[in-house]
Amino acid sequence: MIQLERVKKVFPNTAVPAVDELSFTVEQGNVCVFVGPSGCGKTTIIRMINRLVEPTSGSIFIDGENILQVDSDRLRRRIGYVIQQVGLLPHRTIEQNVGLVPRLLNWPEDRIARRVAELLEMVGLDPAEAAQKYPYQLSGGQMQRAGVARALAADPPIMLMDEPFGAVDPILRGRLQDEFLRLQREVQKTICFVTHDINEALKMGDYIVVLNAGKLVQKGTPMELLSSPANDFVKALIGDDRGVKLLDLTRAESLVADGSIKSPAVKDCSCFIDALQPVKMALEQMMKHDTDSVGIRRGDEVIGALTWAEIKKHIHRISGDEG
Amino acid sequence: MNFGLDRFIEAMLYRSPPYILEHVQLVLIPLGIAAAIAFPAGVLLTRPRFRRYTGRVMSVFNAGQTIPPLAVIALFFPFLGLGYRPALIALTLYALLPIARNTLAGLAGVPFEVKEAARGMGMTGWQVLTQVEVPLSLPVVISGLKTSAVLTAGTAALAALVGGKGMGAVIFAGINFFRVELILAGTLYIGIMALCLDRLLSFFESRITPSHMK
Amino acid sequence: METAAGVVKFILDNSGRIAEYAGNHFSLVLTVLAFSLVLWISVGLFISRHDRLAGGVIGLANVLFVIPSISLFGLFVTIPQLGLGRSSAALALILYAMMPLVRSVYRGVKSVDRWVIEAGRGMGMSEMQILFQIQIPMAWPVVFAGIRVAVVMITGMATVATFIGERNLGRLIHHGITRGNAEMIIAGAVVVALMALLLDYAMGLIERKVTSPGLRHGDRDLQ
Repeated sequence: MIQLERVKKVFPNTAVPAVDELSFTVEQGNVCVFVGPSGCGKTTIIRMINRLVEPTSGSIFIDGENILQVDSDRLRRRIGYVIQQVGLLPHRTIEQNVGLVPRLLNWPEDRIARRVAELLEMVGLDPAEAAQKYPYQLSGGQMQRAGVARALAADPPIMLMDEPFGAVDPILRGRLQDEFLRLQREVQKTICFVTHDINEALKMGDYIVVLNAGKLVQKGTPMELLSSPANDFVKALIGDDRGVKLLDLTRAESLVADGSIKSPAVKDCSCFIDALQPVKMALEQMMKHDTDSVGIRRGDEVIGALTWAEIKKHIHRISGDEG
Repeated sequence: MNFGLDRFIEAMLYRSPPYILEHVQLVLIPLGIAAAIAFPAGVLLTRPRFRRYTGRVMSVFNAGQTIPPLAVIALFFPFLGLGYRPALIALTLYALLPIARNTLAGLAGVPFEVKEAARGMGMTGWQVLTQVEVPLSLPVVISGLKTSAVLTAGTAALAALVGGKGMGAVIFAGINFFRVELILAGTLYIGIMALCLDRLLSFFESRITPSHMK
Repeated sequence: METAAGVVKFILDNSGRIAEYAGNHFSLVLTVLAFSLVLWISVGLFISRHDRLAGGVIGLANVLFVIPSISLFGLFVTIPQLGLGRSSAALALILYAMMPLVRSVYRGVKSVDRWVIEAGRGMGMSEMQILFQIQIPMAWPVVFAGIRVAVVMITGMATVATFIGERNLGRLIHHGITRGNAEMIIAGAVVVALMALLLDYAMGLIERKVTSPGLRHGDRDLQ
């Protein structure tokens, strides 16, 4: 658990604070995404959590312990850190890069070797092939995976990630995001994730913290942000396609009212989607098959149907103001 | 150390000044000729037709730097005799290496993408050279000129050994007669010359470098 | 061709003397190199941690470099504690080596990608670990470029030490001038150049041993 209490950072020779009296908590096992325009202080926040930047005032606690009372090097060895530039040591092999923190912590060599192989496997790199390579021999995506493996090496309970997928192309970024979410379900870390891309924030975050000019604008789940943005700034950040984004976050099953199996629409259905798929997929099927209703299936069983009218009603209900 | 202020002042005011002009010539003339040879050669060697030789020419230059300066000065005199001219030729050869090396490195170091972009906008080979490659490589080229100027100013002191006159005459007199004042005076003048040349080249560089590249 | 044959004949006829001169030359160069490496690499590392000193120290190295070699040798000779011979010669050459060595170490350490250092610090490496495990290993290619320049320079400049009593290969050139003997001059120049090339090659071998293969990719020919 990470707690910030009235944390403020003013860099020398600047009038405006980079981070201004910020307080919030990131719960154990959650992904908290910091999003906002460049210069909003999001990077400064995570750099304060591993003490690469010292706050001007306020305090930061990790599991109740004030981090200013911990030796900064020792603190950082307990926190995974991934940056956009990756920063693999070019003169070390991938094996040595990934094993770096365990070596700093004086793990025995055989344990390091086992851990490195396990991690490379976990992030989708072939240990036999990649371990002895040098960073320049890897592609951008492979480097990014190696960077994540390195951050996970000593099994830190906390990970700080600063635009980790910002430098790779959109297709690869999507894949890395998916892999990361799968990995996170497995490892259950407490993660602070920085991005300027609202779509990435909505996709990755359990919670999203929207920042502007060092101040917290809104904190909430992706659903909360989409359904009730706090002000025009958040609305502008989310963009004009708020409704569609909402449908992307809503599972089809959550809209199927109990007993809708009896609804007359079901027998008209010419197409079906899985209950766990987002409602957006229902729209896609409607367009493809030129129909107004889509059947919802869980396994082999049809549990209901969604109609165009119901989806429209849903959007109006949760986004409230939009007609 | 047996140092006498009056003898030092005498050396500074009366013994050394007659050699100043000679020494300046011993530096500027070789430097000028060397630059006149090295720039076009560097440009030529980085054109597409000759580019594959660039690496090899570079290693010849690097090997050339292993010939000791004393030997460069001495090598010409058995064939051309004692005097000013053999010293000038030797110093020219000596000045050539750093300039040629840096011209080549500077031009070859212009990023390929930049040249490609310039070509893509429809610049001719000549325009790419004069408007892109030369301005971008200028800092490296000038730093070669500076290195060369400093080295030549010092090495020119050895020209006195082969009858080439210059400030070396004062310094060698100081060594032969154990007169520290003469050595100091000669050295000081050479140092001032090297410094002035360095400043002059820096000034020249700042005048022709686009302000955003400084 | 006549001259070339003459040079070969001269070298064969005087092999004993040339071997003695070459031995003296080599030992002077090695002495200077050993002291210079320890001293100037330490200074270079020190100023890379104390940036306020960097300008002054590198400025000093540049000033020393501007002094003609013959003057520096001559000046040290007049200091009674040093006098004619090896200590004056060695000291002067060590001072010349300051510029290429200190500057390359400083540049090498400073040119390390800041994101690599950021990552190292973020993983909890101490400042000393960052210096010894990141900055120094990554600086080797630049540092070795400086070492190789220094080695070639020291070998060449050592010839000038003949004027202050060193019995080394410079003596062949010096005496060649006074006797008007071209073969002698060329023989001296050739042996010195060979020695410089040999040392440069040896440094190249050490560089390959020391530098990580991860840093050796790409075109470094022109740097």
